[in-house]
Amino acid sequence: MKQIILYSRWLAAILVLFTAVVGAHAAPAPDFELPTDGKKVSLQAMRGRVVYLDFWASWCKPCRKSFPWMNAMQAKYRDQGLQIIAVNVDSDPELVKRFLEKYPADFIVAYDAEGKLAEQYQVKGMPSSYLIDKQGNIQVQHVGFREKDKTGMETQIKHLLQN
Amino acid sequence: MQLKKPKSIRSALAVATCSMLSGVSHHATAESTPWEFDTALLYYAESDADNDRVTVVEPVIRARKEIADEEFLTFRFVFDSLTGASANGATPQNTPQTFTTPSGESTYTTNANQTPLDPSFHDARGAINAEWELPLSRLTKGIFSANFSQEYDYTSMGLAATLSRDFNNRNTTLTGGLSYNADTVRPVGGAPEGLSPMPTTTAVKKTTIGSDLDKNVADLLVGVTQVINRNTLMQLNFSYGMDDGYLSDPYKIFSVVDNTGSLVGTDPYLFEKRPDSRARQAIYWQTVHQFTKDVINFSYRYYWDDWGIASHTLDLKYRAELGRGHYLEPQLRYYTQSKADFYYFDTPDGSTLSYASADYRLGDLDTSTIGLKYGITQDDNSEFAIRAAMYTQSSGGDAPFPDVTANIIQFNYSFNF
Amino acid sequence: MFRISMLVLLLTLIGLSGCSSWGVQPWERDVLAQKKMQLNPYPVDVYLDEHIYTSREASAGGRAVGGGGCGCN
Repeated sequence: MKQIILYSRWLAAILVLFTAVVGAHAAPAPDFELPTDGKKVSLQAMRGRVVYLDFWASWCKPCRKSFPWMNAMQAKYRDQGLQIIAVNVDSDPELVKRFLEKYPADFIVAYDAEGKLAEQYQVKGMPSSYLIDKQGNIQVQHVGFREKDKTGMETQIKHLLQN
Repeated sequence: MQLKKPKSIRSALAVATCSMLSGVSHHATAESTPWEFDTALLYYAESDADNDRVTVVEPVIRARKEIADEEFLTFRFVFDSLTGASANGATPQNTPQTFTTPSGESTYTTNANQTPLDPSFHDARGAINAEWELPLSRLTKGIFSANFSQEYDYTSMGLAATLSRDFNNRNTTLTGGLSYNADTVRPVGGAPEGLSPMPTTTAVKKTTIGSDLDKNVADLLVGVTQVINRNTLMQLNFSYGMDDGYLSDPYKIFSVVDNTGSLVGTDPYLFEKRPDSRARQAIYWQTVHQFTKDVINFSYRYYWDDWGIASHTLDLKYRAELGRGHYLEPQLRYYTQSKADFYYFDTPDGSTLSYASADYRLGDLDTSTIGLKYGITQDDNSEFAIRAAMYTQSSGGDAPFPDVTANIIQFNYSFNF
Repeated sequence: MFRISMLVLLLTLIGLSGCSSWGVQPWERDVLAQKKMQLNPYPVDVYLDEHIYTSREASAGGRAVGGGGCGCN
């Protein structure tokens, strides 16, 4: 029995090496404090919760599909400790307003108009999402938003919430 | 999967293995996306100083839908109806001239000192195009298309495939494409034998080489698109094409003249003959740039082929935003081409020819287009536009055919459904 | 023909080598994402124009699909 557990741990380690999309980093997520509508949000203050950090813009078509999904995730897992923070990189606040009127957000929307945080997080494409665990480390990086990735991402959220 | 006292590595492994085991790639159906329709109606009317020429009415419907993540289906239906007269290639003479129509069953006469035009041109054409665009990987996409068109004397069908890959954080895109078209020409009255005489009475029939002739067209394209800065995008393409088969215009003739320009002999009109192959190349460069809100779209193309034709095309569009979704876009296009090796305005008697054509479209030709488009875009992504343009074709060099001017008007309406 | 293809190849390599002054970050594509900033924003217009020009002039070819745009997904 112990042999099986030992082997399965090694197997899991090998699987990690071959994981394509999931970048199992465990690198600490850069801290930030960004303005939101009226207040501020700081990553440090989210310690103890699982944070889904999403970089989005009004001109990003896949973001229109990601918002309803993020609303669903936030509603479903809020009580288990999930906090979604959607960081906007638009330079024109009027366009952001119009987008949010069409696709309302039930999660925190923060503003990074100059893209400084996007640069810190080395955003590789729009939209980009980062799953940060309760200890403040980036566990998953994901570029783009696709229908077929929804289930996988939800599973990743669930696992981080359970740890 | 529960783990007690998780350490970061263990939790990373857990996340990784869980995602692997639970089968990440569940291809869910996309929520219903709308069909995007682009419709247009073109009206084109061409004339020279003496006569009206070809008139075309052409409706187009294009419909596109996203069927899965970044996967699109596009259909395009075109119908064009063409009526009017077209130059037959003969030169004006100081006496009236009589020609037979392509069917050989009637004749038409041109007045003295006027460019001979065949008035029997009327044709209707329907064309359909279907295209499937899909992502092949995160940075690669493929576009596959098929097309079919049918008109009274011409059928065309073809396939095309294009692959695009992004580099440098999607700032650079490399594109490669191939297309192949197999056409069949079924000229009215049969295809005349090249360089054989055109009868001037209905009693004599033209010599034909067949009634169903093939023409194949293959094209290869490579291109690079580069984001220059936040406001500027450029594209540079190189294309190579090969045409094979029956490439002549079965309805065009040329006049055989003496050194004073008068017709010679009993059969002064001969059917044209073009080579049965053509290799062509083009280099195309396009720039799109935004100033505050206005956009300039500028392109240049250099073309050359083994028929001796070389051309330059300059196209410029400037979109001026007027506010609240209204825009005005003036357009300018300038084109100049040098003639084909076998192009003759009038062919001197006694010349031994392998190929000859007096079709002004293969001669020294300068064209210019000046146009203006006015459009209104609305919040629901629908758009209405109207475009008017004047297109002038004039002979360059020493081919003195008259200027031909076309008036163009086009209505566009785009909407989602 | 050979010189031209070498020129195209050279320009491609320049693009690939990531000319440091050319290009934008993924979050700076707001302008490029607009419809009017695409290489071919009105395909029906281009189709009609090309149809007129290829039936009246001797040249053809050049245009193609390409990159640009919002660079999303």
